[in-house]
Amino acid sequence: MDTATIVLPPNLLAAAEALAEQLLHAEPIALYYRAQARLDADRHARTLLERFSAAQADLRVRQARGMVTQADVNHLRALQREVQSNRVIVEYAETQQMAIAYLPGVNQEISQMLGVDFASLAGPASC
Amino acid sequence: MTDLTLNELEVAPPSVILQAARDFAGALAETPQFQAFEEAAERLRRDEAAQRAMQAYQARQQSLQMMLMLNAASAEEGAELKRLQQAFLAAPAVAAYLQAQEDLTAICRAAADLLSQHTGLSFAAACGPGCC
Repeated sequence: MDTATIVLPPNLLAAAEALAEQLLHAEPIALYYRAQARLDADRHARTLLERFSAAQADLRVRQARGMVTQADVNHLRALQREVQSNRVIVEYAETQQMAIAYLPGVNQEISQMLGVDFASLAGPASC
Repeated sequence: MTDLTLNELEVAPPSVILQAARDFAGALAETPQFQAFEEAAERLRRDEAAQRAMQAYQARQQSLQMMLMLNAASAEEGAELKRLQQAFLAAPAVAAYLQAQEDLTAICRAAADLLSQHTGLSFAAACGPGCC
């Protein structure tokens, strides 16, 4: 079902918007957004990520064609080391994980009150 | 704003966020969809015929689990399981429960989508069970 067509009852809509607003001020999520802003403002870091992503895609294509060379692998590894030692990128990745890890606690608070697991109900149908 | 820690990040105390989560849960619990789900679940719990049909289906499914995993159940066993499943699903209390669950799921997904859009983080994916 397309959730864009669901109209939330006004009280639920207001409560969901209030929760969303508060979540933006939760420490792990605020830190994530600060790290994201730093990454967005850092042209070198963004270019490095783009190069790394392009090199990964290129290697996958070469792998499928059986055309991977040691030079391709060395190039990707060098870029990977550069990504892993970039402070801005590392901070972004770490804070993103912390922000994601924060949400189950919020779900637990909701689910305890409801007596059912909210995220399970809200999740996409499992495979 | 008096209970907010006003630092450079405008970080809110955990208690404020958890209260917002509880307020959200309270609003969800008041929806007709949630109340219909609770009532349908209770009716299903009290419906002895539906419970018997469910137990018969689950017991047979469990006994055939290994054969089903190996795709080695006979046609008769498969047909029997399907018959038990249909008998279970045909119970009015089960049908009502599944419909109520579907209705509740729809508003839960819409609310979770709203949280995800605002925060830029997928709420259901971060909290839900891992997919296969």
